[in-house]
Amino acid sequence: MKTIDYKIPQGKMLKIKVKFEGRIIESICILGDFFLHPESTIEDIEQGIKGCEVNIELISSKIQKILDRSNAVLIGASAIDIAKAIERALSN
Amino acid sequence: MEDFRFIDLEVHSAFENMAIDEAIMLSMKEGKVGPTLRLYRWSPSAVSIGTFQGMVDEVDTDFCKAQNIDVIRRITGGGAVYHDYNGEITYSIIIPKGHRFAPNDIIESYKIICKGLVLTLNHLGIDSEFKPINDVVTRGVKISGNAQTRRNSCILQHGTILLDLDVNVMFQVLKVPIEKISDKMIADVKQRVTSIREVLNREVSIEELRQALQEGFSEALDIHLVPGHLIEEEQTLAKRLAEEKYSTREWNFKR
Repeated sequence: MKTIDYKIPQGKMLKIKVKFEGRIIESICILGDFFLHPESTIEDIEQGIKGCEVNIELISSKIQKILDRSNAVLIGASAIDIAKAIERALSN
Repeated sequence: MEDFRFIDLEVHSAFENMAIDEAIMLSMKEGKVGPTLRLYRWSPSAVSIGTFQGMVDEVDTDFCKAQNIDVIRRITGGGAVYHDYNGEITYSIIIPKGHRFAPNDIIESYKIICKGLVLTLNHLGIDSEFKPINDVVTRGVKISGNAQTRRNSCILQHGTILLDLDVNVMFQVLKVPIEKISDKMIADVKQRVTSIREVLNREVSIEELRQALQEGFSEALDIHLVPGHLIEEEQTLAKRLAEEKYSTREWNFKR
């Protein structure tokens, strides 16, 4: 399990706890002081990117699709920020 | 002028406070109560974390236990807050979906509701402004933090306004490695967060702040605050939520 704190420029703090199998996300917990409406979308995102290869574009587009599907709004963070934090956790 | 139920300053435990906010939302969803403004304090003092935060990541729970400080997870996002019984008043405003204070643009909605805090501070002699995403600042320094959730066909916004700030206790409650708590770090926080007493350099009482909040919200939002209390159903629901949700390890330590 890797943990990374990622301060989003002009945004909130993300803390990612993620387990990788090679470059694949095996499990993930996305923590932080951001806002997400509706809040339950966080579980959909965590589930939805399991099994995903670590690639910023791929992960952010998957997260964005989940947000769009749930008509959800992320405030203080974006799909790309989460993807970047995951990528940083892998390379750390 | 629109009528709002006004639940004047009360003191509750962290578990009761968060349960009451949710119980009001659920009753409003059923059409049993109308728009509501609450003022409250926390006893014992408590630390609340944002709904997406990890309890053990953010809070020194051993210290809190030893000092009789409650710990609780909110249903709103945002960061960890130390609710000092003597150092702040919390407000919550609960309105139905589609209300004029709750446009689709969430930040715009914060801005509208936070006008109540800006006017409150103005009444006390402090110039302040809303700073997106969710803060009110004076001279660029945070004096109030706010958080919103939209569920149950309602919008809940709660937030604190700081009367006093004990940075040393805050650092002990929130998980900052002891070796990092340098004088510089304390100075940094003091540059980013302030309180009413610090700005005015005088003893402002809880009652003075309570009065200013009542007037500030009423004037800024153009609402008539009608003194009220929880209906029986809200009380029952709040008691159940406090027992079965907010005081449980399952909820508070779920992330």
